[in-house]
Amino acid sequence: MTDFTIILRSLRVRLFSTLTTILTVGVAVALILVLLTMRNSGQRAFDRGSGDMHLLVSGDASPLVAVLNSVFYANPPRRPIPWDRYEQLQTQAPWAYAVPTAIGDSFRGMPVVATTPEMFSRFRPVINEAWRLQEGRFFENDFEVVVGASAASTSGLHVGDTVFLTHGFPKHAGAVRGDVVRAGEAVPSSKEEGHEQEHHVEGQEGEESAAHLHREFGCRVVGILSPTYSPHDRAIFTTLNSSWILHAHDRREREGVFDKPGAVEQTTAMDLTPVDRKITGVYLRLEGRGESNAPANLPQVFDMLRKDGSLTVAQPTQEVATLFRIVDNINRLFLVVAGVVMVASAVSIMLALYNSMEQRRRQIAVMRVLGASAGRIFSLVLTESALIGLCGAVGGVVLAFGGAFAARGILRERLGLIIEPAFSPQIMLAVVLVTVALACLAGIIPAMVAYRVSVAKSLRAAA
Amino acid sequence: MPALAIDKLTFRYATRPGVEDAPWQLSLPSLHMEAGEQALMVSPSGAGKSTLLNLIAGLLDPASGTVLIEGQNIHTLRGASRDAFRGQRVGMIFQTFNLLTGFSALENVMVALLFAGVAEREHRPKALAMLERLGVRRIDAPVDEMSVGQQQRVAVARAMVCNPALVLADEPTASLDPANAQGAMDLIQSVCREKGAALLCVSHDPSFAGRFERKESLTTESAESKQGRKEGCES
Repeated sequence: MTDFTIILRSLRVRLFSTLTTILTVGVAVALILVLLTMRNSGQRAFDRGSGDMHLLVSGDASPLVAVLNSVFYANPPRRPIPWDRYEQLQTQAPWAYAVPTAIGDSFRGMPVVATTPEMFSRFRPVINEAWRLQEGRFFENDFEVVVGASAASTSGLHVGDTVFLTHGFPKHAGAVRGDVVRAGEAVPSSKEEGHEQEHHVEGQEGEESAAHLHREFGCRVVGILSPTYSPHDRAIFTTLNSSWILHAHDRREREGVFDKPGAVEQTTAMDLTPVDRKITGVYLRLEGRGESNAPANLPQVFDMLRKDGSLTVAQPTQEVATLFRIVDNINRLFLVVAGVVMVASAVSIMLALYNSMEQRRRQIAVMRVLGASAGRIFSLVLTESALIGLCGAVGGVVLAFGGAFAARGILRERLGLIIEPAFSPQIMLAVVLVTVALACLAGIIPAMVAYRVSVAKSLRAAA
Repeated sequence: MPALAIDKLTFRYATRPGVEDAPWQLSLPSLHMEAGEQALMVSPSGAGKSTLLNLIAGLLDPASGTVLIEGQNIHTLRGASRDAFRGQRVGMIFQTFNLLTGFSALENVMVALLFAGVAEREHRPKALAMLERLGVRRIDAPVDEMSVGQQQRVAVARAMVCNPALVLADEPTASLDPANAQGAMDLIQSVCREKGAALLCVSHDPSFAGRFERKESLTTESAESKQGRKEGCES
């Protein structure tokens, strides 16, 4: 028998009150930890996603939406940019690179980014960090795909597999029967498999169109990317031609080309027209010295491009900073609320213990009769309070881990933002210590009440 | 050296509103008990018997007089020293047992050893031996799930486990029916004899008179002040 046994019995006797108090403390601790952690991780994730590009050009309505859609794959961009406009853009400034992207197709809800090889050879998804492969190679031909690290682990794709892409984004992401043919298995011929109607979604052109699986065009997985811990990890990359051919096939079907006698239901690069050649964004970086993200001519080029009303020009770093200024204010508000919840939880510890004192007077009196000093009773109650705080803090840490990973999943699904919760041991320790300290403070009043229990009176009341 | 030596002990109750110069309420000129001696303090309810036990246990401070337990004036001890001395040398048995709810029978007895400062490794064997001696079954059951008779035995075991010099029993059988009361009193008296502890039992049950070689009575000087609020010089 130790003092600790007595504390545990005391907590067990008031189990419901103890558990609800611990839960209150745990929620407060979890809230603070998640906010602190997600704020840092979130900013890191946003900083990583835009990589080393200086500007982003898109047809979206606002620069922030353009960045969210074209860099973080929140939604498919709404307005396409014709290919000739892109060609014109290439000559408008001394670019280090001008990487076109077309986003409108998907695989199991994950975005398919049609682009050029410069995406991998020139653009860096993270400043000073080039793309790396964990398996295979980058694409070289049409209908080859390179899969982001997270997309590969989610879908289980490997080099050599063949995937069938979906035109558009289905409302319910998930595996569709036969959308993957594993390496070594026979790929069904396009005559056996047409494209499969699914359901209506917002299409690339902003009009209602059907999301459907293109079984006519199998794309071979040639590479799996190493994690960049940016939204690009959940993307699948292919050539522009691959995407254009898919859309051209739909166009030709609508035009009735395949209904003509003797027509072969097949579309190749030769069948592409300017109508098919469209992109949804361009990653731009100006020529300059070193890794500077703010070359001297950037403002002039930015203003020059903005004169074209059909384009939206965004500086991703500025947009991310703007976003975080907004989010940071909300974060601060949340932190204040979490702090208030924390204090409220300390008050709840005090109230739970204080209210229990009325029922415990007799027990305290008996312990005094048995030889416990008033000081020892004081320390028993104070330790009990600290223990509630400690249990709440530990429970809060566990809750925070669960909450952060749940939030990570939601952010990935909804915003295309990959946030890896990185719990700093120092922050966790500090929060736990502050919680225990608050719990000790909260325990002082009940401990004083216990200290001053009148033994004779309490025993007389019990008789 | 006597187990208990009381001399000229007085304790004053507070005055009632409107009553000036209230008289001494409780007075015990002398009471000496040797080790192993057993005495019954008989007086009507409300005469201050429980107050006397609280004074002897050092839970209340007297207005005057001395209480020596094995030669130690308990009221000259302060704070934790007095509590520790009480835990080690005085055992108390209450009318309502005052067992710790939520604790098992074994734990109730071990708590007494813990607060008396007995080494932790001795808690379990000593408590087990005492519970076995008193015939307590289901030692791991919570006390609130035990029969009244078993609870009484646990209360006695808790009072006796530290081998006290003096056992104070406050109406120890008031919660029991007459048949069980006699059995419980047999148990208390026999264990005290075995352990050589002096037993001071307060009761208003006259049927116990024949069990004790010594009968004492408590003097209260004014019935009027019984209604008054006790003025505690509580420790």
